[in-house]
Amino acid sequence: GRRPSILVVEKDMRSSIPECFSHIPMAKRIPISQANKDVHPAVLVVGQQMATFAIKDSISRLGATLLAFRKVIEAYETPKGNSLSRHFVPHVLNPQIEYLTECRPMCFSMGNAIRLLKAKVNSFDIDTPEDEAKEGLLEMIDLFMNERITLAEFVISKNAAKQIYDGDIVLTYGRHRLVEKTFLKAKENGVDFAVSIIDDPYDRGGQELSKSLKEAGIPVYYSPNLGGLRHNVRRATNILLGAEAVFANGSVHAAAGTADVAVAATNTGKKVTALCETINFDRERVSVDALTYNEIDPEQHSSDGFRLLFDTTRDQYIAGVITEFESGTGNSPAQAI
Amino acid sequence: MAPTHTSHAPSMEKLVKSLKGQPLEASIDAFIYLLKRRQVKGDDCAGATAHILRQVVAKSKWHDVEQLLFKVQSVGSRLVGAAPHEPVIGNIVRRVLGLIRDEASEERNAEDEFGSESASDIQTLAQVTGPPPAARPAPTPLARPPTLATAASFHASKSKSMFNLLSVVDAASAPLTAASTPLSQAAHTSINSLRPEVLDGIEEILDEINQADDQIAGFADIQIHPGDYVLAYLPSRTVERFLIKAASRRKFTVLFVSLEDSRSAAGEGAHAALRKKLDAHGVNTISLASNGLMAYMSRINKVVFSAKVVYQNGGLLVDSGASVAAQAAKAHSKPVIALGGVYKFCPEDPSDEIAGETGDSSTYVSYADGLKVDALEVENTVADYVPPELVDVYLTNLGPQTRHHLAAILADHYKAEDVGFSLIPGEV
Repeated sequence: GRRPSILVVEKDMRSSIPECFSHIPMAKRIPISQANKDVHPAVLVVGQQMATFAIKDSISRLGATLLAFRKVIEAYETPKGNSLSRHFVPHVLNPQIEYLTECRPMCFSMGNAIRLLKAKVNSFDIDTPEDEAKEGLLEMIDLFMNERITLAEFVISKNAAKQIYDGDIVLTYGRHRLVEKTFLKAKENGVDFAVSIIDDPYDRGGQELSKSLKEAGIPVYYSPNLGGLRHNVRRATNILLGAEAVFANGSVHAAAGTADVAVAATNTGKKVTALCETINFDRERVSVDALTYNEIDPEQHSSDGFRLLFDTTRDQYIAGVITEFESGTGNSPAQAI
Repeated sequence: MAPTHTSHAPSMEKLVKSLKGQPLEASIDAFIYLLKRRQVKGDDCAGATAHILRQVVAKSKWHDVEQLLFKVQSVGSRLVGAAPHEPVIGNIVRRVLGLIRDEASEERNAEDEFGSESASDIQTLAQVTGPPPAARPAPTPLARPPTLATAASFHASKSKSMFNLLSVVDAASAPLTAASTPLSQAAHTSINSLRPEVLDGIEEILDEINQADDQIAGFADIQIHPGDYVLAYLPSRTVERFLIKAASRRKFTVLFVSLEDSRSAAGEGAHAALRKKLDAHGVNTISLASNGLMAYMSRINKVVFSAKVVYQNGGLLVDSGASVAAQAAKAHSKPVIALGGVYKFCPEDPSDEIAGETGDSSTYVSYADGLKVDALEVENTVADYVPPELVDVYLTNLGPQTRHHLAAILADHYKAEDVGFSLIPGEV
């Protein structure tokens, strides 16, 4: 395991954050005994998994959250004299959300999903029968997971795989599930290509990716860090990067180091393509630098080490974003959701 | 990837001692062996090369200037061949060759000592006034003395006047003996005096190498302003001295970056010592445990790292993480300051595609994992190229330079005929 199980007192952790980064949030472990009593056990577990980064990327977090909320809805009984549409959100759903946010700042997809879920609850009449309302919410969650997660992944990897040709050397950074799916899909399509992986030595997801690609018979060049970036970028024929989220101004929010790769690629005239589900698009937030929305890596955070989890790639360094609805520049599909 | 500060001094001393203790051929072989094993690397190569060449001049047999030049060329090309990834070796060889040519020609025209005397006066004057503060330093191509020693220290001008003393005697005795002795006799005596002169010159080069870091640090408070957030790429002795010197004058914040995992024992030790020193001056330090640097750049004011070599086009050979720092800084229009003594200025062009020197990958991939090793073409780059357009200031021991002055500096330090010396096959 990457995360040591030592419980670190949060105050001490935060006190060593340099002042210029002190506005940036950090995931923290809340002992289950200290959690709000209204938090559902399924949510408690998900919160712990998020705090320890056992569930890490945006879509996995979204899926786990929705499944846990499903349990919350199933277990929900409207108190006498109340209606689900009035009672459920403030008294049941919000404590779950607060707890999850405390464990780790919410990712954009969770925010989007929760907004849609609340809108659904509000759409019920005050006298909608409880069973009908619960049924409607569960159905919505299932549909949502099918469309925005499963189908989105399928469509994106299928479309992105079409952009990989025989003889290509495709460069990627770290490990992103959409990029991985795309490579496997392209291989399935019979394309003969190689992958150049640049890894983050503090995360090493790229090693896992290289294993899985090798098992699929895809040749891999592996760089353990950003050293030799220029050389790697020059050798590559195209660059596929996974995005964690996309801001309203087209900036891409992704694993720290992604922007460095995108800049190097753009500077050498290579096309950078980002992959992202539309549920990760944020229509309201605008970010021009990585210090606006970010998270401190609690694992790397000590009195003499400091690390941000994400960086922001401005739209001029991204040639295109492939989503399940359409492909375009970072800016246009922001309208899609 | 220079070794840590603490491990450096003894190993360099030991190296010099062991080289001195052996017969010439053996010590050259020993040095080549160390170079090939990368046990002497980075900034240490320059000093070690100068030491070896001093042995060559002192111990080998030669009867005229041509023979000496050939000796130095052939040993030099063997050293360069042993460590093609350390172009600084070639620089030092060229400096020594240039030095020999200078001393020889001074011997030959025995001589307009007024010219050289006034030159050394100028240098002494410059020395008294101290290093020029903000202004561009003295060495412009216009007013330059006819020597290698733009960086002439007090030591340099002193030894020069010693030389003049000797040559005065020579010049004075020449008319007397000229009538009775044939010319060859004069040539012979001058060859005898050439050896000590060249050895002195090599000492000067060694002094220059040893003092470069401190002289560069002397410009720190001009470059670093109060309240700055400075991104510094480590490990590098030059950068460390620069920061400590700046810390004695300014309050600022340093963000350290290193490609090496800062949690590794060696990395932590090296940074810890530096952090302590900076903390003592009230300078904030933050270690970034990070690969990518774009994320932090909006907070940074300037980026500082040291060059392994400065090519004649202004491009740099650097420890590979430094190139990521330079690129990120450029993307945010933040100034990039590359530190390096003029002895690192190399009169060659970078090869078109520097793939970067690759190093040990076992720290990143466990070789116990058979599948992984089989699967991976692991490329752990340890040296990288930074194109000239990413560098704003070249901070040398002569002060800050721009790309447009590189040609003048190279012309000051190298002779045109030595630029391609390494093409001369080494004698075996």
